[in-house]
Amino acid sequence: MDVSQYLEIFIDETSEHIQNLSDSIMTLEKEPENKDTINEIFRAAHSLKGMAGTMGFKRMQHLTHDMENVFQEVRNDTIKVNSDMIDLLFQCLDAIEGYLTIIKETSDEGSNDNEAIIQKLNSFLDGTAGAEAPAQTAVAPEPKKEAASAPDEKKFLTAELSETDIKKLKEAVQSGQHVYGMTVFVQKDCLLKAARAFLVFKAVEEFAQIIVYNPSSQDIEDERFEFDFSIYFVTEEPVDKIVAAAKNVSEIANVVADEMKLSDITHEDAATATGETTAPAVAATEPKAAPAPAAAASTQAATAKKQAAKPVTSRTVRVDIEKLDALMNQVSELIIAKNSLVSLSSSEIGIQNQSYQEQIEYLERITTSLHESVMKVRMVPIESVVNKFPRMIRDLSRKLGKKMELTMSGEETELDRTVVDQIGDPLQHLLRNSADHGLESAEIRKERGKPETGSINLKAFQEGNNVIIEVSDDGNGIDTDKVKAKAIERGIVTPEQAENLSQKEIIDFLFMPSFSMAKQITDISGRGVGLDVVKSNIEALGGDVEVKSKFGVGSVFTVRLPLTLAIIQALMVEIADEKYAIALGSISNIEDIPVSDIKYVEAKEVINLRGVVIPIIRLNQILDIAAPEEEPESLTVVIVQKGEKQVGLVVDNLIGQQEIVIKSLGKFINNSTKIISGATILGDGEVALILDVNTLM
Amino acid sequence: MTNNIETTEVQEKKQYIVVKLGSEQYGIDISYVDNIVRMQKITRVPKAQPYFKGIINLRGEIVPVMSIRLKMGFEDDTFTNASRIIILKIEEQGKIGVIVDEVREVVNLGPDEIDKPSHDTKDGKNTFINGIGKNGNELISIFELSAVIDEN
Repeated sequence: MDVSQYLEIFIDETSEHIQNLSDSIMTLEKEPENKDTINEIFRAAHSLKGMAGTMGFKRMQHLTHDMENVFQEVRNDTIKVNSDMIDLLFQCLDAIEGYLTIIKETSDEGSNDNEAIIQKLNSFLDGTAGAEAPAQTAVAPEPKKEAASAPDEKKFLTAELSETDIKKLKEAVQSGQHVYGMTVFVQKDCLLKAARAFLVFKAVEEFAQIIVYNPSSQDIEDERFEFDFSIYFVTEEPVDKIVAAAKNVSEIANVVADEMKLSDITHEDAATATGETTAPAVAATEPKAAPAPAAAASTQAATAKKQAAKPVTSRTVRVDIEKLDALMNQVSELIIAKNSLVSLSSSEIGIQNQSYQEQIEYLERITTSLHESVMKVRMVPIESVVNKFPRMIRDLSRKLGKKMELTMSGEETELDRTVVDQIGDPLQHLLRNSADHGLESAEIRKERGKPETGSINLKAFQEGNNVIIEVSDDGNGIDTDKVKAKAIERGIVTPEQAENLSQKEIIDFLFMPSFSMAKQITDISGRGVGLDVVKSNIEALGGDVEVKSKFGVGSVFTVRLPLTLAIIQALMVEIADEKYAIALGSISNIEDIPVSDIKYVEAKEVINLRGVVIPIIRLNQILDIAAPEEEPESLTVVIVQKGEKQVGLVVDNLIGQQEIVIKSLGKFINNSTKIISGATILGDGEVALILDVNTLM
Repeated sequence: MTNNIETTEVQEKKQYIVVKLGSEQYGIDISYVDNIVRMQKITRVPKAQPYFKGIINLRGEIVPVMSIRLKMGFEDDTFTNASRIIILKIEEQGKIGVIVDEVREVVNLGPDEIDKPSHDTKDGKNTFINGIGKNGNELISIFELSAVIDEN
């Protein structure tokens, strides 16, 4: 047994508490009088303190302890929340996060005492109620002493022991050794009971040899005990010393110990013999035995909460993402194998047997649902990434001296774990960009008749096989004239060329490497590593990013990400004798269009489909395939859509719908046009390319 | 003593796969060769570099295939029964196939049997060669694989 096995839980829970604190402090800033929030912060700080103490992270414990003290006073209405305090609280949070980062890397909290923050915290307490905090701690031990005298506390005398344990104790006493029993009570709100128990064992073992555990050491390790456990040990040292050592472990409510006489053990012997009758007796002593400094109601609430929380935790399992990746790969292989069975069964040489066909269809259904399950396992809500943004915007608001507000929606939208892990940085960049470049200063906003507080909006939602994340602001928008001037200055385009550029082409310059529009280089943005990094990061995930902007009104950055990275449903099409796959999620419908229906707009082919004018793209031209010698009378057009845009793709033949496994083309082939997003292996072993229709729009 | 001398000689020698491109013979360091497969259907990749013939399915893996002939500026390949795709495995970059007209044999060549290329190295096509091996009466141009594979 080792504390390190709790490290992961500690890290997870601490991160949760930090997030919780961050949210609460944000709320507190807006509603400084909100009692619920204050209590929430107090509880979070308290829990953090407890956990840090358990794990032996003294510095972290110290900091959170002082935080808790300040909130104790806020709760008592002796201190009022002000903006200085909010700032300080955020500093505390950063410091705690700092500890956590170090703990994650080294399993140790590091050596930063954060004295400055602690001093500031204490200065809040000074003059107000500085003396009260120690008083508080002084009160606590008192009930402990009272409780110590209660005979009911000596549970080790009444505990049910197994026969082998009793034998062990008897033998020890008979051989003339000093055998002691000890019952340890942990505090009701103790979070890592097993870790506490472990620390108690360690303390005791310095002086004594533990011979019997009750409940068994395994049960204690697995936290299968209420709030107390008993141990029996032999030692030559005075028992008070050992009790003191055990009491030194934090979050231990009380420790009682006494020497065991032979009669005590035999008395127990008798008790065990009657078995049934002792059980209720022990149960009856329990409520009395519990040292209850807190009100009974709250104890009940705490236990109820614990009971409610238990099943939830036991229903989830932590799995290494690598194992999931391996599982995913195997499912991919299975699907390829299934596809070849399907193509075999439909080919002429295949077995034309009905039950065989049925089995194949059954297999197909199973692999599809297996794939869906694996995908779902890998999905996590983007919440874990976006929930740090409100805090970031708040800090930016301070730093830039602009008033701004972030609203978020769709945090529950789920994405593949690997995508979620990598989407944080690009989104952060976009938000910073909006805050720094997007939103105007207060004066300009006033002139333009906009509300003083700029608003930034992050919206996530699912659209077909994609997840869309929009970052919008009601700020300045992109000044295309300025961008144009900059592009000319940089020699990217000549002034003549610039005249003919479309709005979109100009905005695209912003995504070029080292093209920063910031006049001043700040540490927020403007170092020229910005939008191009955003773009390449998102493209590496198989997504894309698009900007719509209106000068003076605001801009919208739309990030489009694929739901899954590995397997998709696709429509297989044929162009001449080449096969291509188009993701089913981006297809809206398929039409047969007579050639005579094709019209021309600006010398480009379009069709008028039920009142909507849709440009058409001849895929054979895009893909360098020779056009058919005779133009057929009608064209098969696959209408694909991206957001509100629609494009018709002309193909020669439709093959059908298929589940395909996406494979990369590798690094050798230059795929700068990005029309081909990957390849897939068909049932007959042939390779087909996957078209990324987003690049065609 | 004699044994010792022999082993050191063997250690210095490297194995090369001798392939034919047109009438010339070339050697490929065997330590980079993952596999040799017969010609199979190559799926063309639009907009790729012209010397990339496309991609193939190598037991469930997608492997790009390039034409050394086109890369070196020779005339395009004509596939025959003897044509083979040699799958090279390059660290980090992964696998890549190269098309050759014929695979002849495997030879052992020691450093003393390989001359530095005598031609003017500025002549474009010679940059793909890092030595001329002599195997009996025959001359084998040893490929500098990094030059063959890398973009230029």
